[in-house]
Amino acid sequence: MDLSAVQAALSDKSYSTIAPLCDDLLLQAASRGSTTDEWPYAVHLLSHLYVNDLNSARFFWKSLPQEVKDARPELAAVWRIGQCLWNREYAGVYTAAQGFEWGPELADFITAFLERYRQRIFQLLTKAYSTISIADVVHFMGMSEDDATNYAVQNGWSLDAATKMLTVNKPKAQTNQKLDASKLQRLTECVFHLEH
Amino acid sequence: MESLEALVAHIQGLSGSPEEVAHLHSLLKQADFDSLRAHAATLVPFLAQLSPETHSLGYLYLLEACATSAANLTDFGGGDFLVTVADFLTKCSADQIRLAPDKFLNVCRVLKDQVMQLNMPIRGIAPLRAAVRKIQASPEQLTPVHGDYLLLCLLAKQYKAGLSVLEDDIFDVDQPKDLFLYCYYGGMIYIGLKKFPKALELLHNAVTAPMSSLNAITVEAYKKYILVSLIQNGQVPSFPKYTSATAQRNLKNQVQIYIDLSTSYANGRYTDLETFVHSNAAIFQSHNNLGLVKQVLSSMYKRNIQRLTQTYLTLSLEDIARSVQLDTPRDAEMHVLRMIEDGEIHATINQKDGMVSFHEDPEQYKSVDMVDHIDSSIQRLTALSKKLASIDGNMSCDPAYLMKTGRDRGRFDYDDFDTVPHKYF
Repeated sequence: MDLSAVQAALSDKSYSTIAPLCDDLLLQAASRGSTTDEWPYAVHLLSHLYVNDLNSARFFWKSLPQEVKDARPELAAVWRIGQCLWNREYAGVYTAAQGFEWGPELADFITAFLERYRQRIFQLLTKAYSTISIADVVHFMGMSEDDATNYAVQNGWSLDAATKMLTVNKPKAQTNQKLDASKLQRLTECVFHLEH
Repeated sequence: MESLEALVAHIQGLSGSPEEVAHLHSLLKQADFDSLRAHAATLVPFLAQLSPETHSLGYLYLLEACATSAANLTDFGGGDFLVTVADFLTKCSADQIRLAPDKFLNVCRVLKDQVMQLNMPIRGIAPLRAAVRKIQASPEQLTPVHGDYLLLCLLAKQYKAGLSVLEDDIFDVDQPKDLFLYCYYGGMIYIGLKKFPKALELLHNAVTAPMSSLNAITVEAYKKYILVSLIQNGQVPSFPKYTSATAQRNLKNQVQIYIDLSTSYANGRYTDLETFVHSNAAIFQSHNNLGLVKQVLSSMYKRNIQRLTQTYLTLSLEDIARSVQLDTPRDAEMHVLRMIEDGEIHATINQKDGMVSFHEDPEQYKSVDMVDHIDSSIQRLTALSKKLASIDGNMSCDPAYLMKTGRDRGRFDYDDFDTVPHKYF
């Protein structure tokens, strides 16, 4: 089984390309009837989580035979992160990711995953809240109180120390509004056609 | 009959130009494969003398004879027969195998049956995916391989792999059964991936396709259609006019408990629906639909919260919890957060005051992306409408169609040619 492409993607840190790569390699290997003892199960599962494709992660886990799951503690540990994501236990994700001694192959990948996850959650908080307590930011971001407050303030949120509340600053969404004249022309022709 | 050696020599000699292949095809058709089938095991060494790429047609004839013989396929030639088949399906020349589509489909079916018998459905996915592309004259054509491919994807839990054939728009269907299976399995793939609008589209086609008698696939599809409709839209639409009379008359009687479920859902009370689901859990389980029914149940909170956004601009978390029957304001907050994350409502939570404000959809339909989106939709629709117009034209010239409509009505009216309402175009 040739896993050099996966290894290359891991060392390049181009993590988002790993999931489709692994999916395809696995199907090819299966069609040749090859044994999959050497398959990088944990990397494959984490690659789905990295791109937030929880359905694929869930089905991948379900498709694995019990003895594969039992024999690989690292794989089971990745799945614990997946479970937290699936059940939206926001804080559990950090505990699961930080509560395991990851091997050298996975350590960087896990760090990159957590970084990306934290950014996504921060965006969600920015979108969903106008004011939020510091305690909740700590909960959602998996950081200490000081770190969480600093992170938020650096992103333009303002702090009310008395009530321990943060006021969310929503950046104006930048949308590209430059229009391609030919598209406008085509739309105009279409509407013209419909009206006549 | 010619000896097998001579046949192999012909195959090796006549696999170049299209004329040669055509000549080879006529030779192969005359060859006595029934007697070959009886000694299928002797064929295997000859396969090794041929190349799947260049001698595809001859290879296919020999392979099919092996595959459809009664012999136990796993014992073949010491090697792994499935690998031989998989190799062939991936490497064969599409132009050659399309000369003998029946043989090719037989080989595909044997592969599917074998991997299912071995309980290793994943082994068949990559070869069948290649096979679909080889046998198709265009991506719009539905083949019997489509259904088998999707079935293997479902069994192997490789749902995403299924998308590769589902993303093409199907336009050309030969056998009704292919279409029903494609729609049903395709619907299940999209349900697994929680792409409910796409799932509805496919299940809808399985329910509304023309049929003269009710089939089991449609009944199962309709059950899932009801459940997914509730999850996605909160209600089940009535049959559109073009649904076959058979389906309109009989389908609902087959799925009474699902109709009861949707009635209970319409009342909007979580506890009532919960009781109904619990007392009928065994039945839903026996239909393999319990998971989906539970998703219907939990979609009720979502639906009730969405309903609130139509009435209120701001509402306290406490009031939300009370009106949708959640235990605590914190539960309500988590539900609202989840819905914002999934893009199902537009709202902001103000923890200081314990309030939620609901907003209008912020999309202003003037970004470049949106214009691109509208533009491509229009393109697709005009292409589709042209296609429909040409099919409609062909059909109204078709003698069989004219005979039937003529006999049924006894006369021709100008209006007869316009029986499908315009809004469906």
